[in-house]
Amino acid sequence: MPDERFFEPDVETMPRARIAALQEERILELVPYVYERSALVRKKWEEARVKPSDINSLADFTERVPFITKDDIRQFRDEAQDPFGGLLCADYADATTVFSTSGTTGDATLYAHAWDRWHPFWAATARDLWEIGVRPGDYVLGSGFKMRGPLYHADQMVGAIPVLVNTGIGGWATALDAIRRYRPVYGQLTGLALAELDHLSRTTDMREVFSSFKGAAFAGEPLGARARAQLKSWGVEVYLWTSTGDVTGAWECGQHDGCHAWEDCVLLEAVDPAGSAQVADGELGELVATSLDNPVTPMVRFRSDDIIRMTRQPCACGRTHARFWPVGRKGDETIVAGRSFVPMDIWRALEGVPETATALFQLIRPAREIDELKVRVGYDPDTTTSVPELRDRVSEAITAAVGVPPVLELLPEPELLARGRGGKLPRVVKA
Amino acid sequence: MTVASSTAAAAALPRPGPWGIGRYDVAGQPVFFEVGWDDWQRDVAWARAMLADHGVGPGRGLIVVSGMPESPWFDPFETAARELGAPYSIGEIYAFEAFRTGMYARRLPITMIFGLDRTVAEGLGDELAEVIARVPVIVARPDAVGLLAGAGARPFVVARVGPALAVECPHRSGAHLNGAEWAMAERGGELFISTAGPRAHQVREAALGLRGTLTDGPCGCGRGGQRVTISEGA
Repeated sequence: MPDERFFEPDVETMPRARIAALQEERILELVPYVYERSALVRKKWEEARVKPSDINSLADFTERVPFITKDDIRQFRDEAQDPFGGLLCADYADATTVFSTSGTTGDATLYAHAWDRWHPFWAATARDLWEIGVRPGDYVLGSGFKMRGPLYHADQMVGAIPVLVNTGIGGWATALDAIRRYRPVYGQLTGLALAELDHLSRTTDMREVFSSFKGAAFAGEPLGARARAQLKSWGVEVYLWTSTGDVTGAWECGQHDGCHAWEDCVLLEAVDPAGSAQVADGELGELVATSLDNPVTPMVRFRSDDIIRMTRQPCACGRTHARFWPVGRKGDETIVAGRSFVPMDIWRALEGVPETATALFQLIRPAREIDELKVRVGYDPDTTTSVPELRDRVSEAITAAVGVPPVLELLPEPELLARGRGGKLPRVVKA
Repeated sequence: MTVASSTAAAAALPRPGPWGIGRYDVAGQPVFFEVGWDDWQRDVAWARAMLADHGVGPGRGLIVVSGMPESPWFDPFETAARELGAPYSIGEIYAFEAFRTGMYARRLPITMIFGLDRTVAEGLGDELAEVIARVPVIVARPDAVGLLAGAGARPFVVARVGPALAVECPHRSGAHLNGAEWAMAERGGELFISTAGPRAHQVREAALGLRGTLTDGPCGCGRGGQRVTISEGA
């Protein structure tokens, strides 16, 4: 039963020993289940000479069970002509929904759920909305996309009323109208939404508009320092969230000290990005996820390519589940002319130039090591008086950040926004 | 299990408000409207009957092409698919998301696309012909019908008419309106809508900014009531 503080107090503040026991119980049920049903799991385990009978504890699982990567799933899909890449543990007919990953960083992969009332991907998110302060009878601003299922199910689970208006690209003028009418307490934001709100803020009192908000969630990509400061100036408390290896979401609490992974739903590991050993709490590791509550397409030691720092220390909010801080994507590090950088370096440089302060850019990178630093940058056509002059300043800023002069392709922001997908602009592209 | 415990916690809470709020435009002016929980349940029942008429049932996959802001119209059809045991996927209505509709149609045994609009149909590009060849039943928005017909499809029609959704049955005699909930009028080719049922959103003769024709009387499917044919946009 929810109380004033927590949506599921018993679950959210469960002692670590109970979490570990619960996870072990579920893992030991999962092991024979997936081995019998998942063609990819069986293939990977046979290659690694692992049998279900070898796994008798959580420690056995994390020591012996082989990883699965997105490339493994795609390769199996293509070779076996299996749309689910060997992950499906039931018949397609038994699935209620089949959704897919965003496809921002490559070919989207499918995942399925069987469910009755609320979509499972968002079930635990009710805990996070409760933490933000969403309560029965509150209005909330419906989010922009449905590719992972109806996020408004989480709104409705906590008794809130979703205001379902267009919060995608080009929709924010009408969304602000809805905010004024219904005074929602919460909404979802993306990087592309912030770029649009930045323009609208020139003619709109954003502090007044967002004065009803207890918080806004932000996901999809890093939140730049300038955007964070701007939201703060509008009085918006931002709660970052991210995907936990495509199993469920992980959201910040009011302490803003890491994203809470719900460990009754996912077994979370951080492993050496270049190897297989578990890294210690606080060290950089690759997020590895195992689904504990999806019998249709469970992920089993799925290497997400997300680089995180993780801790199992209880949070000051009182919750006991692990927290993590997303750091970037594995493979984001780029080497140009012998110098190493990550996309965030370009992000920060662009934030310092007023006409490109929304930091809409794409690093054009056909390979991880490149000879020439090509960057596609969006600029604000309303405030740009001279594109050649802007080009010089942007070039100077990026050179200072990365140490290599860029080859720039400058585009008006609307043209670059049109290349976005699912609320995100792919930051690293091949062309 | 997480879903079970979260669902139990949710069940303990009151739901003092409506199912959700939607928005449609009348002559360029926004109209916000409530969908009550009772409204939504009746919409689901109607959607279930319409989908079943098109052969949607256990194991028969479908793609619902709709955006988040269209959920007041399309969620009842998603829920109906779930209740009918038909696995469904969502294809968003944006051009940059057209690939998702194509991907589902290519990879899964899809028997129906419901809600295909011109943006997505155009966004499919060369893949459109393959999608049409693969998927037996396409229920398309009015703006996509011509394009799809030109590509060799014979789509049925689904149209947003103000706060309502009109859906053509297999007898192809115009898109059915749920007469227990809504009533339409046509004057000089202009369409108007009124609430007929006990809905949270009550309107009287609201101009829709749409042109079309109405047919009344029995349909081959056994339903009576109004059917609408939109002559432009919806």
